[in-house]
Amino acid sequence: MTRLDRTNCEEAFRRLDDFLDRRLTPDEMRIIQEHLDICAWCTREFSFEASVLQGVKRKVRQLDAPTDLVSKILSQLPPEQEGQS
Amino acid sequence: MTPLSHVQKTGSLSSDFVRTPPVTFESLFTSVAHAAYGIAMRLTRNQADAEDLVQDAALLAHRGFDSFMSGTNFRAWFFKILINCYYSRRRREKSRPVTSDLDDTPDLYLYARSGQAGFPTQGPDPASLLLEKLGTERIVGAINRLPEEYRVVSTLYFMEDLSYEEIAGVLECPVGTVRSRLHRGRKMLQKALWQIAEEDGIVSQPADQEDA
Repeated sequence: MTRLDRTNCEEAFRRLDDFLDRRLTPDEMRIIQEHLDICAWCTREFSFEASVLQGVKRKVRQLDAPTDLVSKILSQLPPEQEGQS
Repeated sequence: MTPLSHVQKTGSLSSDFVRTPPVTFESLFTSVAHAAYGIAMRLTRNQADAEDLVQDAALLAHRGFDSFMSGTNFRAWFFKILINCYYSRRRREKSRPVTSDLDDTPDLYLYARSGQAGFPTQGPDPASLLLEKLGTERIVGAINRLPEEYRVVSTLYFMEDLSYEEIAGVLECPVGTVRSRLHRGRKMLQKALWQIAEEDGIVSQPADQEDA
């Protein structure tokens, strides 16, 4: 990844995914944030992408495991061998 | 509270000094079982298959528990076994047709399409209206349209707060591969979501718009 001293829309957009996943260095995060603070267009795009990611996470995690899942599985494991290391 | 309960796992006091802090397979498995089931459920889309998958992984993990290094990341270790079990099952099944038209998805696909269709593109949570209308099952269905390597990495990413490094460990691939698959998978997912929204009449299909 190229060194980032300051940024424009194109540079910011190239780092969109890494920014949203906090994969940038603190300095890079700050520089992108500074750009977002002054660029309404990029802010809209970044906010929308963040909203998609968070929304998908929220939705797919709506799931209940069967209440007896753990006990059922543990009951089917072979018993511990005495002296097993 | 039984201070020596961990000795039950090994049955020997010598292991007591090796494996610290004291843990049992049962306690570690219990801590990850529901998360594992969630991933299994999203990958198999079937409760019975998901339970079987977690069961298979638990059996293998239990058998190989001595190779797990206490104090390291049990969750990532168990997920790796789970994913390997999943791939083993997949190999026994017929290969799925791959939806290749997702390959050329442009950036900001959902943003652009949402704007054209009159859905919000700004505000505190701009995509929420579309995602609410789609609902969980269709969103899961969209992830399932992704080619396998993107589907698995995306499922891990969306279901669990795993770092790229942890996902790379689970999938036994370089971090750069995780990063590129996630980034590309996201673009594909946006197109898949829109395709499903069109197919199910949540948004108008282009032909409908022309007729209108």
